[in-house]
Amino acid sequence: MDNVLNITREQLDALREIGNIGSGNAASALAQFLNRKIDMSVPNASIMDLNDIPNLVGGPDKAILGIFLKIMGEISGRFLLLIPEATSIKILKTLIPGCETSTLVKMGEMESSCMREIGNILAGAFLNALSVITQTPMLNSLPSINFDYAGAMIDNVVADMTAVSDKVLMMETSFIEEQEDMRIHIFILPAPDSLKLLLQKIGVAE
Amino acid sequence: MSTIIPVGMSQLKTGKSPTQLAVYGIGSCIILSIYDAARRIGGLAHIMLPDSTGMDTSNINTIKFADTAVPALIEAVLDEGALRVGLEAKIFGGSEMFPPTEDFSNTIGRENTVAVKAALKKHNIPLKCEDTGGTHGRSIEFDLSNGVVKVYIVGESMREL
Repeated sequence: MDNVLNITREQLDALREIGNIGSGNAASALAQFLNRKIDMSVPNASIMDLNDIPNLVGGPDKAILGIFLKIMGEISGRFLLLIPEATSIKILKTLIPGCETSTLVKMGEMESSCMREIGNILAGAFLNALSVITQTPMLNSLPSINFDYAGAMIDNVVADMTAVSDKVLMMETSFIEEQEDMRIHIFILPAPDSLKLLLQKIGVAE
Repeated sequence: MSTIIPVGMSQLKTGKSPTQLAVYGIGSCIILSIYDAARRIGGLAHIMLPDSTGMDTSNINTIKFADTAVPALIEAVLDEGALRVGLEAKIFGGSEMFPPTEDFSNTIGRENTVAVKAALKKHNIPLKCEDTGGTHGRSIEFDLSNGVVKVYIVGESMREL
């Protein structure tokens, strides 16, 4: 299973299902943390062409907040959260009393540490659910953060996973708050060399 | 009006004045431009990784790797009508978008920069200027009518190189 193109429809369905459980857990952790009702879209698991990924968040030159975490354990991979500027500001105003941030360009330490914590909570909740399903412990690294072009952050995260193929396996989901649009995009990229084990653990290895 | 042609990851495009070539959202990738000022012909390659050594060369995208993309772009601009003797290169990108943590080292941008420079040297193409490194992304537009590259960075004003 070194080449993601060999993955079957049944396997993708199974990945979508665990993505669903992971996202559900992450959504309720976020709802609790922000004390807001959070809905999630139906997660997607697909094999995507590199150049199509930035279009999911508004194009490669869209400035967006990126939070990156490594997934560590027997099953490893990468976890990338892309949060539009407007959503990030709403989150900051919920968390920091008197917050008057109006842009994320040159974000302060307080803002950046708040958003890193959001990354920690979402990744932690997601991976916890996945650890239970796969009975394989998965942990996240410390989060790294940036506010920059979506395409720039995506290319840095996927670059070394693409030596063999221009396509990557990706699970994607987004969250929306009940009243206002509070979109958060979550991308999970299993490392190509742990894909086989992941599929085995969820019972869909060939 | 000139057309602006976007160049995606692992892609190569060439053209003549007054065409413009553009890449939006460059992180650790390197964008290599090669230009023949006298003939106003040039091209861009969007390179993702430093080295194709050890890969099955019949089965790879040569534009993805620095060592194979550099000769491919030279060949492509010559095919477009440029003359080898007038060729000059510029490079952009090679950033580290997420600072390294204990568990994550992020050196691909630096490796790409070093590899593209080495390949240019090997193929005798002078490097006219570069805007590489840092922890921020870039977007660029390459104007084939005058060879100017506009560099955009989030939160900063546009620069011409």
